[in-house]
Amino acid sequence: MTFELNINGFSLDNQANDYDVIIIGGGPAGTTAAIYTARSELRTLVIDKGLTAGALGVTSKISNYPGVPGPISGAKLVEIMREQAESFGATFITDKVVGLMVDGEQKEIIAGTGNYRAKVVILATGAMGRTSTVKGEEALLGRGVSYCATCDGAFFRDQDVAVIGNNDEALEEALFLTKYAQTVHLIVPTPELKARDVLAYEVAENPKIKVRLATRLKEIVGNGRVEHILIHPRQGEPETVPVTGAFVYLQGSQPITDFLMGQLATTAEGCLVVDNDMQTSLPGVFAVGDLLCTHIKQAVVAASDGVLAAVAADKYVNGRKKAVVDWG
Amino acid sequence: MSLLNQDTRDQLTEMFAALQKPVKMVVFTQEFECQYCQETRQIAEELASLSDKISLEVYDFVKHKALADQYGVDKIPATVILEGGQNGKDFGIRYYGIPSGYEFSSLIHDVMMVSEGDPQLSKEMTDWLAELKTPVHLQVFVTPTCPYCPQAVLLAHRLAMASDMVQADMVEATEFPHLSNKYHVMGVPRTVINETVFQEGAAPELLLLDKLKEAVAVAA
Repeated sequence: MTFELNINGFSLDNQANDYDVIIIGGGPAGTTAAIYTARSELRTLVIDKGLTAGALGVTSKISNYPGVPGPISGAKLVEIMREQAESFGATFITDKVVGLMVDGEQKEIIAGTGNYRAKVVILATGAMGRTSTVKGEEALLGRGVSYCATCDGAFFRDQDVAVIGNNDEALEEALFLTKYAQTVHLIVPTPELKARDVLAYEVAENPKIKVRLATRLKEIVGNGRVEHILIHPRQGEPETVPVTGAFVYLQGSQPITDFLMGQLATTAEGCLVVDNDMQTSLPGVFAVGDLLCTHIKQAVVAASDGVLAAVAADKYVNGRKKAVVDWG
Repeated sequence: MSLLNQDTRDQLTEMFAALQKPVKMVVFTQEFECQYCQETRQIAEELASLSDKISLEVYDFVKHKALADQYGVDKIPATVILEGGQNGKDFGIRYYGIPSGYEFSSLIHDVMMVSEGDPQLSKEMTDWLAELKTPVHLQVFVTPTCPYCPQAVLLAHRLAMASDMVQADMVEATEFPHLSNKYHVMGVPRTVINETVFQEGAAPELLLLDKLKEAVAVAA
């Protein structure tokens, strides 16, 4: 057994990781906010899981975004917005936020590549979170059910595992697991893969990965630890697949707020509560787009949220600076 | 060959300039038969070389058994982070296995925390710890490739710093497979509290507080 020591270059706090504004989520809401904050000369970082990670990114044809006659793919539209934000000086990184502390004046964001700090955080993670779990999932969490292959892959050496989901993350994790597992069953609910072409190609070419398209996960079964999963192909009878690990990356239509660990006020439906300036229950923390569920889920509406939050963020950052000078 | 590259050394030197109280690292290793003993010692040596405020003592687990017992160290590689200087104090902060990957950042955070002397816990947790009469032993199982794990490790170590009743170990799961088996670790982070209560994932402070209360109730 070996692993890379990996003690260089990441996970360290340093001043290079200090920003005025950190935006979590690079869809239309987050990216539009970045265009405005960067243009206001606020040092801006956008942390995003990938171009096709969100609701717009997986939309194939858009013809009603003002100024962009289309038809254009959602991923392409996000890419154009991103280039616009970058042209004003915003920085984008592909990463996943695993935790954050936002109750103080300085907000700290913990991501896979390291810790970042900012005066303002704008949350724009969208609403593709899961609405419910499958039978057996909660009871077997940590007993073979996992949401992090990089964390837990090592426990499944030479065993058969399943990855359930259909997005870049699911495919990347399936490929990662082939380093350890004997066979990786990739259970995909839809008839085709929705991920970057290069990933889909790698998955198709990997002899350890068995792809099951148009197949739903019905149950994760085991007594004290995962023993098998029950799946149901759209055309066919339910069947059991013996596995010791089940890595779940399913999506739904719920606001993605789990990484907040209850630090912010939400509605009973799990939507973030904001004021007219898009500010949440904590000062300097804003939320925009589908996280709010206050409006119809359209890219242009999300983008407009982003503008409101960006303007308020500018006021928040610069207002505070002026106050300090006055007291001085 | 140095494990830390120049860029990392520069960053750390800058961070360590802010160190207040002296910090001591005690590493238990062994000449043979310990997979990552050499690297663990080397990480500690390189860190100690970056600041006058960080001192290091390295001991052999077999030759210095009495000292290992005194620190409660029962496996290696082991790293103990304590306050240095004449009034030095052992808070019960332990690393078993190599603090590499994401856990390297935990180690740095701990050095900074011990030096600052502030565990930064909520009032609820601080109040509960002040009344704590039962010893609490937290074992946080991790892998070096787990981005969620440092949150669990650091919370456990903050508790250890805040209370003399708490000892908190990071345990690198793949280096101690017998312990991973014993505590049914198939996913990380997994925190074992007093052998009886388990917490999956990086729990927020108040959720962990509920589990701590549960574990103390079992002991009572």
